[in-house]
Amino acid sequence: MEELANINWALFAPIIVIQLILQVVALIDLLRIHATNGPKWLWLVIIVVSGLFGSIAYFIVGRRQV
Amino acid sequence: MRQFNVLLKKEFLECWRSFKLLWIPLVFISLGVSDPIMNYYMSDILAAVGNVPEGFEMMLPELKPADLLLAATGQFQLVGLIVLIAVFVGTISRERLNGTATLIYVRPISATSVFMSKWVMASIVGMLSALLGYAGSLYYTSFLYGSINFADFIAMILTYFVWILFVMAVTVAMSASFSASIAVAITIFILPIGIILDSIIGSFWHWTPWKLANYGAGIVAGTVDANYYWKTLTITLLLTAIFIAIGIFATNRNRQLTKV
Amino acid sequence: MSLLRVDNLTKNYGSNTVVNNVSFTIEPFTSTALIGPNGAGKTTIMSIITGLLHPTSGKVFIEDYDDIREAIGFLPQYPQFYPWLTALEYVEMVANLSGVAAKEIRSRSMKTLEYVGLGKVIHKKTATFSGGMKQRLGIAQAIVHEPRLLLLDEPVSALDPIGRQEVMDLLKELQQETTILYSTHILHDAEKMTDQVLFLKEGKLVEQGSLIDIQQKYAESKYMIQFASEQSATTFCNSTNRNIERQGVYVYVDVSEQFPSITAIMQHLLALQADIVKVERVIASLDQIFMKVAGTSEAI
Repeated sequence: MEELANINWALFAPIIVIQLILQVVALIDLLRIHATNGPKWLWLVIIVVSGLFGSIAYFIVGRRQV
Repeated sequence: MRQFNVLLKKEFLECWRSFKLLWIPLVFISLGVSDPIMNYYMSDILAAVGNVPEGFEMMLPELKPADLLLAATGQFQLVGLIVLIAVFVGTISRERLNGTATLIYVRPISATSVFMSKWVMASIVGMLSALLGYAGSLYYTSFLYGSINFADFIAMILTYFVWILFVMAVTVAMSASFSASIAVAITIFILPIGIILDSIIGSFWHWTPWKLANYGAGIVAGTVDANYYWKTLTITLLLTAIFIAIGIFATNRNRQLTKV
Repeated sequence: MSLLRVDNLTKNYGSNTVVNNVSFTIEPFTSTALIGPNGAGKTTIMSIITGLLHPTSGKVFIEDYDDIREAIGFLPQYPQFYPWLTALEYVEMVANLSGVAAKEIRSRSMKTLEYVGLGKVIHKKTATFSGGMKQRLGIAQAIVHEPRLLLLDEPVSALDPIGRQEVMDLLKELQQETTILYSTHILHDAEKMTDQVLFLKEGKLVEQGSLIDIQQKYAESKYMIQFASEQSATTFCNSTNRNIERQGVYVYVDVSEQFPSITAIMQHLLALQADIVKVERVIASLDQIFMKVAGTSEAI
């Protein structure tokens, strides 16, 4: 694991930050929207657990586009 | 023109309030920056994961800056494209299905302004996303691998914009023509599957729209043949115009399908 | 000159005829009710007038307009709005699309929303609106551009009784200012706010005319006498040899040899010095008329 210490984490940080923003935006939207395709709690779990792809899946599939 | 402006504003508010103008660019940025970073640290990551035979890192190819932009293009062409198609393929058919279009279509507006407002907004979202994705990729590439000619970079982005205009013309035209599920199937076949087919059997010809994005990345690498490039660009623009015409025709024809 | 003229409208879907050779006209500043059971073709006729549907044959004309859509305001039975827009944004948008002068849009939209009773929620997103509020917003979007002809498809049938009354009151006010064509299967509503009725059955117009004419045409030859007391009613009944219908203080008299006219009835009542509250001609309800003209025994 020592090799990982050599990695410049400042370079990785933006990727992590971007994914966090995506998750937070998805969560904010989930809380504000009045209905989703499928149960809300399920989307909550998907967004929190599977990060980038969970958030994309929520925006494309979960958001009920009335 | 007034109707187009009003409808474009409506489309903009839709994209803004449903966070499309935020999350789609973020997806493209993370696609754009992941390759330069992952490749740069590939040997470290592999070593950290363990069980890599001594000297393995020697086998990793030596990447040039242009290769990373090509890799970003590849990401946009697969994941990015599917996201854009999935988001916009229902943009007209959904409004017919849920009846929101009814109260718009009973007003004295043209099918042209309906279609164009949808296409322009979808293209703006796509182009903004591609711009930010490439900018992120450029930032890391020039930081980790070396600099890139800025004029070439701009030419690449403008080329990709033309591709996005084509992609969105196909997507929105299919949305105007068919119900959502048929439109998805056709659009996925024309665009992502078209790219894959063209990459497999496309060596026999040099100018299809599916090659445009790679030619754009080729400008940076200096490998693109100007003759093929301009032919491809012209054909793509021509097909974009044709799909716009199809889209306007279908929007008008399918007004009667809106739920009353 | 008529505001709207519908000539020989027919709409087929395959071999299925949904609208069958329908013709009618609508005069300015009148209200016309399109009456019929579900599936009679009311919504199809509305959709053809709005230009959404093309008729198989026949034509729709509106005075002075080439594009009919410039002249109409349309409220579908279940109006659907963009949930991400506020009520004001929505009404301003459609006013714009209908060509209201740019500098009037804000004030006209505010005024219209106030008028339909949504003045307090103009900045609320329509996603949060209840059924009654959506119907009001639906009326607002139909009238904001002051159309010559207002088309309302089942304007109240989806509402609860209180909401229905409120919307009916609103429509009665609108009647003063514009021409209305509305469809309904609730005849009770039609009786309250209609000049002309069109009875539709299986795509065909089975009867049409002014409400008054139709009521007279189908009026029963019967009078109702309401007495002040049961005793007076009994006295009256005993004084005739006719078979008389009686319900408490209400007595129904058929027009017959003994009572050929209202005058004869009145004279008889005077002679008896009966204590009466009122005498009136029994008017058939639209329900009863529809059952007669449609030749069905089912109420709609």
